[in-house]
Amino acid sequence: MLGFMDYVQNAFAESTDWNRDNSYGTLNATAQALLDFDTPRGLRLNLSSLAAPNFATSYSLGSVGVVDGSVSYLYSSVPLQTSAKSCDIDLHRVIRGYRHLKELRRPDDDAWWELWHGGKRIDRKKTLLYGRILVPHSTLEALYLRRLSPTRQLRISCVSDSSLNNGGTILGLLQNDHGKYSTEYMYSTDSALMGVRGLYNFGIDPRVEPTIPSGQETAEPVQGRFSAGAELYYGILNKSGGISTGLRFTTLPHHTGFPYTMTLTLNPLMGNLSSTYAVKAGQNLALCTRFDFNFYSYESDLQVGCELWRKRRNPEVEWAVKKLRPDWDTLTPKPDDDVAGVLKARVDQNWKIGVLWEGRVKELLFTLGASLDLKRREQIFRAVGVELQYSS
Amino acid sequence: MAFNFNWSPLMADTSAARIMLTTALNKSPKPPIIVDDIIVTELNLGSTPPELEILEVGDLAEDRFRGIFKMSYTGDAFLTLKTRVQANPLNTYLSTKPSFASPQPLAAASGLTIPLQITLSDIRLSGFVILVFSRQKGLTLVFRNDPLESLKVSSTFDSIPFVRDYLQKEIEGQLRVLFMEDLPAILHRLSLRLWSPEYAEMDDERMEQEAKDTTVPIDPLASPPQDAVDAFGNPLDEEQLSAFALDPSSETHASFSQKNLIRLAALTESHHTLSLFTPAMRETVFRAWAGACERSDQSGAATPSLTQSSLSRIQSSFGSNKSETPSLASGSTGNETMSSRPGLQSFNSTQSGLGMGSRSRTTRKKKTRVVNLRKDKNADEDAPSVGTDDSAPPSITVSDIASIPEDHEEDLATPPRSPVKPLRFESQHATLDVGEPVELPEQPADPTPTATAPLLSPFKTPRGSGRSNAMTTPSTPPTPTQERPKIGRSSTSRPPQSHIRQMSGSTRLLRSLSLDKMPFPTPSSSSSPSRHPLSPAESGSGGILEQAWMTKMANEIARRVQDEKDKESRGEQRGARKLEGMWEAGDVEAPPAYEA
Repeated sequence: MLGFMDYVQNAFAESTDWNRDNSYGTLNATAQALLDFDTPRGLRLNLSSLAAPNFATSYSLGSVGVVDGSVSYLYSSVPLQTSAKSCDIDLHRVIRGYRHLKELRRPDDDAWWELWHGGKRIDRKKTLLYGRILVPHSTLEALYLRRLSPTRQLRISCVSDSSLNNGGTILGLLQNDHGKYSTEYMYSTDSALMGVRGLYNFGIDPRVEPTIPSGQETAEPVQGRFSAGAELYYGILNKSGGISTGLRFTTLPHHTGFPYTMTLTLNPLMGNLSSTYAVKAGQNLALCTRFDFNFYSYESDLQVGCELWRKRRNPEVEWAVKKLRPDWDTLTPKPDDDVAGVLKARVDQNWKIGVLWEGRVKELLFTLGASLDLKRREQIFRAVGVELQYSS
Repeated sequence: MAFNFNWSPLMADTSAARIMLTTALNKSPKPPIIVDDIIVTELNLGSTPPELEILEVGDLAEDRFRGIFKMSYTGDAFLTLKTRVQANPLNTYLSTKPSFASPQPLAAASGLTIPLQITLSDIRLSGFVILVFSRQKGLTLVFRNDPLESLKVSSTFDSIPFVRDYLQKEIEGQLRVLFMEDLPAILHRLSLRLWSPEYAEMDDERMEQEAKDTTVPIDPLASPPQDAVDAFGNPLDEEQLSAFALDPSSETHASFSQKNLIRLAALTESHHTLSLFTPAMRETVFRAWAGACERSDQSGAATPSLTQSSLSRIQSSFGSNKSETPSLASGSTGNETMSSRPGLQSFNSTQSGLGMGSRSRTTRKKKTRVVNLRKDKNADEDAPSVGTDDSAPPSITVSDIASIPEDHEEDLATPPRSPVKPLRFESQHATLDVGEPVELPEQPADPTPTATAPLLSPFKTPRGSGRSNAMTTPSTPPTPTQERPKIGRSSTSRPPQSHIRQMSGSTRLLRSLSLDKMPFPTPSSSSSPSRHPLSPAESGSGGILEQAWMTKMANEIARRVQDEKDKESRGEQRGARKLEGMWEAGDVEAPPAYEA
């Protein structure tokens, strides 16, 4: 489940029309959501509030043997109109699952963002500031996010921790999203790591207005999208680098069959090949597999995961609906009113199992998780945890 | 004196050592580049033995040894390890970084694990080694400094300079940890395994000897109790017992046999009531039987809290009266050999034992009086046991000294409490060198006990004196000729003694106060009370304290060696006139137990 601050940052991205999915870094976001989810450890409580549309606070207290906690603040120059109450947050928006990619939209024109008043430009760049201090370790995290232009965003994240080299690290990330393609440039002060990422979407260019000759029937809606990307890193100080390329095919909302996503990533330096296939097999079920193979060491790995949404039944009227209108789709005022929770599970070839149950009780969002290792009989449960979130 | 080190058998079978090394290498957290367990596949100690230079021999007997060596090794030993490493530098680099500011690459950080074989050769070692060996507790070896000088790491990655340097650095770091922490533990376990079959035999043998000894068999101090409990009644395990044993001064404190405790408790109960029943205890002296002077001290039979300490003291002292024959004194370490015990001294010790039994709250006032009496800075270690001693002055004197040997013995290991200056007593007969804590090989003619030894030895109880001799003059076995002057001096050298007492009165007060915190006084016939404040902690975590103590000991010995060298270079004349200097110095410095 997304933390409150991640949720607010997503809300900021939405309100500034930033497409987080159009990036090479999120190429296999679906597989990561279904296979690489974190299982909580111990008990963790989060108390958050979007006190004003521009300001959010969050406190967290955790106990895994030792008690730790964090305090975080967020400021957004854009008023965030999203609801932040834990009782009416849409569960689909805080639970990462199968990602439905949307049609690419044409980036705004620069001029549209300009605000003029009395002959002067008065518009300000949209900015987000976020800070978080983790209490017992005295680790400070800071994030500066700025929409430089409709196609560009600067993201600077810093961590200050005495245990790190030089006492901390700063990562600067410049993201360009032109719809058709996106590029990212990054620099990390730690070992002077530089990186470039790029993603190219095949198919029609959203920036070009479709020129449909009048009289012809409307064009066939695009059913899927094929994307290719690559990334390259080089650490100047330690003279080491990394490279990977990736492909993705995903269905778009217009697709008539069940949605699916396929990715293939290759790391030619390390000989690592990874393929994922995720399918939304029904309204409530998504399945995902991943197969890793290294053609240098012949190591392989297989992971299977699933996501199962549990619908909430309304026993008072259900019988009536069944009897009178069996073909009724449940129409509810709120998008997730019918959802009781989601069960995620994954298993790999070493019989390591992760189980996660996320949902809402009363006004609390909860995450209940466990990771198991069936190969170690003496200690099957590796970690068990509960996470509770309340926000207002 | 010669040592014969047999190197070749060590080369024969290294499988056990291989397994232990494997466990040791995998114990500490591994660097992120190593993704699998480290397995030692080959271990060869080579044909060249290390060069050992004996710097100091602190204790030497058939079944025990304590000494400091300077070791240097330039042999042809080699070690081959097998593990798997992460070949992707980006993966290694990112695994140690916080995810918040991580670039989070999609697949560029995917791992590639490569089996790796590392051969460590050309190992160059040089360092100071402290070696303590006793049959009962095995071998303890501590490196005073980091012994690793250089080492050649050859691996499958020798062609890649970055990886090679990284491996060299990481492996050196791990090896340093191994030498400083894991190797002592491994050796200790190996030696215990080696000697454990004989351990039981040794026990039986010792029990027989104890039958003739001053300490009666049921004396909880004499033998390691079968069902030992510490001062709070918590059971002690074998390691904790051996932890006590490592430090002879604390060998017996706070460990009792439950059987004895019950018996003594019954005895105590019988004093509470008018019951005529008195549990039969062999070879014990009851307060009621003691001489008039002892009875005069009110805290004896009058105080209900007649404690084990006093009783055991009585037992042992009575035993010493009874048996004049030299025998093994027997702490759980078993490294004190009793030599001749003159009857006069044993009589004194009887008195002291009786006097010491009077520890109770009711005698607090008396305690302070005693504090004034016991100014001997060297004797302060046993202050708690004697702190409440309110018997007649002569007996106090004896009791004072009775327990000093432990102090003195500890002195071998703990820092010298006075700046190490050579000090000599002009006794009637022999000059005893005080300032030299340890006998140096090049001065064999001079029996040089530790700083405290000569002061105390004249007054020692038979037990004490025997011990001190064994401990302080390791190279020269205690001979009657040495004993005699001391006995003579016990009557003559009173003035220095009183002088000592004035010095350390304050520390003694501290000590006796700290003793009060103990649930019950521990038997003190051979335990050093200075360890008492530590004893609860020690019973809980003997290993840690032991380790800390060993390191401290190591440092101190090194310092002492240094001091000695300085001294020699200065060519200082050691003479009797230095005596006063020592007293003054002793006044200033705190007893080592408190520094620790």
